[in-house]
Amino acid sequence: MKASDVCAVAFVALSVVASPGWAQVPGPNNAITDVPGIRVGHFTGNPLTGTTVVLAERGGQGVAGGVSQRGGAPGTRETDLLKPENMVQIVNAITLSGGSAYGLAAASGVMQCLEGQGVGFPVGGGNVVPIVPTAILFDPGRCGAPFTYRPNASFGLAACSAARSGPVQEGNVGAGAGAVSGGVKGGLGTASVVLDNGVIVGAIVAVNSVGSTFDGDGNLYAASLELAGEFGNLIPIQGGPPPKMSKPAAVPGGLLRNTTIAVVATNVELTKTQATKIAQMADDGLARAIKPTHTPFDGDTVFAVGTGRISMASLGDPAFAEYVIGSAAADVLSRAVVHAILSADSTPCEKSYCDLFPNACRNRKKGAQK
Amino acid sequence: MSRDRRSSTCACAAAVFTLFIASASSAQTPGPLNAITDVPGIEVGHFPLPSSDPTSPPPVTGTTVVVSRAGAVGGVSQRGGAPGTRETDLLRPENLVEKVNAVVLSGGSAYGLAAADGVMRCLEAQGIGFPVGGGHVVPIVPSAILFDPGRCAAFSVRPDASFGMGACEAAKGGPVQQGNVGAGAGARSGGSKGGLGTASTVLTTGASNGIIVGAIVAVNSSGRTFDAQGNFFAGFLELGNEFPLIGSSATEVVPPSSLLQNTTIAVVATNARLTKAQATKVAQMADDGLARAIKPSHGVGDGDTIFVMATGTDTRDATNLVNTIGSTAADTLSRAVVHAILAAVGDCRVKSYCEQFPQNCAK
Repeated sequence: MKASDVCAVAFVALSVVASPGWAQVPGPNNAITDVPGIRVGHFTGNPLTGTTVVLAERGGQGVAGGVSQRGGAPGTRETDLLKPENMVQIVNAITLSGGSAYGLAAASGVMQCLEGQGVGFPVGGGNVVPIVPTAILFDPGRCGAPFTYRPNASFGLAACSAARSGPVQEGNVGAGAGAVSGGVKGGLGTASVVLDNGVIVGAIVAVNSVGSTFDGDGNLYAASLELAGEFGNLIPIQGGPPPKMSKPAAVPGGLLRNTTIAVVATNVELTKTQATKIAQMADDGLARAIKPTHTPFDGDTVFAVGTGRISMASLGDPAFAEYVIGSAAADVLSRAVVHAILSADSTPCEKSYCDLFPNACRNRKKGAQK
Repeated sequence: MSRDRRSSTCACAAAVFTLFIASASSAQTPGPLNAITDVPGIEVGHFPLPSSDPTSPPPVTGTTVVVSRAGAVGGVSQRGGAPGTRETDLLRPENLVEKVNAVVLSGGSAYGLAAADGVMRCLEAQGIGFPVGGGHVVPIVPSAILFDPGRCAAFSVRPDASFGMGACEAAKGGPVQQGNVGAGAGARSGGSKGGLGTASTVLTTGASNGIIVGAIVAVNSSGRTFDAQGNFFAGFLELGNEFPLIGSSATEVVPPSSLLQNTTIAVVATNARLTKAQATKVAQMADDGLARAIKPSHGVGDGDTIFVMATGTDTRDATNLVNTIGSTAADTLSRAVVHAILAAVGDCRVKSYCEQFPQNCAK
């Protein structure tokens, strides 16, 4: 073996070892808003359903986006536009909404909100078309709510108008308000990580899964990914009573009653192709936090955006940087799922995780995750 | 080469030849309406509704909805470079929902995606949609838009949910209005006026006897549909003398079009019983009908998107007919493009084909 080969091997080995060793801490808000250029707004209805909008900008312009759509019952808008070969290179906002396919109307309100601010893809004459990819989850008619109560354009308009940086409310809010997850109350969760090279990755998710986020004993699958005590001293459950799993009811005519939808964001400048790859890797974060996931009855959809505060070139080999960002995105998304489940509050129809497993949560400091 | 080999080659060649002849001679006629509504169960509605006053100016934007109340197996081909779409992920063969209740084509750029909200409301009120228990439905309404805002009206004039509601309530079988209507109202094509067109084909021989294929298209292309002499690229696909006499010697200088603000969107319907995967294949083949009728097509600024709706009222296993249905769909779509251009009338700025080549439209 030549000396240069030894060097190459050593470099590769070092890279692999170095990656998990990189300092990883949550950002100041442990929220997707820790990524500069990202703002979040919720609008929550009564009965529980709602819309969450993630605004993304760099210098007042949109940023590159990608999507991974692997769940079997999706409801989406503008995902074709995100394909790398297609012309529009930016997104201005992502809408996550309850209301099943009816909830796609929320995006029209987000478009109205952004057009009012002059934000969008410029089409000449000072006019813009805001680029607002969207995914919905199924929550109508839950817990005695009228089936016809669902997010419309006014929900999107209100969520967009409420969007801001800083802390993000979690639990029974926005797109997660009416969510359920594998026998417990689902919800809205967010998380972030700061790597020691200055890369920030954040995620926000509305967990409304067929699958469960915890094993037969009640241990959360993604608990081991905790950073800085964010889950508030969860106690492993040993040999406790198996949880009463409420299997999705057999509904005549079919099941279309779930879906987990998410956005991951990074402060790195991405191409659409890179954003697509990062969305695909981030999707694995759902697989690690929820079992089963991407079923025929889940429309699981993960969007990724890069707000361009750090150039990809400054991070060295772009493929390796993508690898690092994608890995981080998966872990951040898994942690956001845990936050969603821990932040959810019981309703008359679904117990929250902490009410179902009070032993697991008994040492948990309320609000410890933020 | 051995004698055996030679004979098998001959047999093979003969078989290919027979296939070719069979396909070429498969009799095709337009349906009675020469419209997508020749496919039983397919209804079409446009909004704005036609004015009762013939002197009123045509609409500058609009929405067209294609409805299958019983539900039709859906597929899509999305190959244009600047699409605006809803519910196309749902149409991928591996995904759960198989049937679509309606497809919405609309002007208004991405803002026009709101029209589908009105179509969903309209169908929900009629109990039409994917059943989700408790007697409730979620109507499955894929949608695509084209870019027309700001051409002959303010940029903020665009289809909203009320357009979809109006088009859905107006949906019916029977003849389909073409030209400056519905999603084609504000359309332009390669520097001329674009529009809305439809066509149908009935197959009358062999294994495909009884198969009906219809197409409807809003032509808003960066590319042109005819050469400098006014000859339609797809003129050779004419069935049953449906186009005016082609073959002008006049040469018209057609003004250039905007290359980045276009999109041609279409629906192909058939009475065949297709799976989602087969419907997807038919959509892909139908897309070649755009390629033959419009040059260039699927450009960077064209969000060209083709949906398929297979109603399945012809209950035969269509596995061996997918190729025939796909190629018929392509030809039918090409013809619908020609109908769209022939039916269009000039707008505030651009001329129609028939204004540029009146001798070709004298018939």
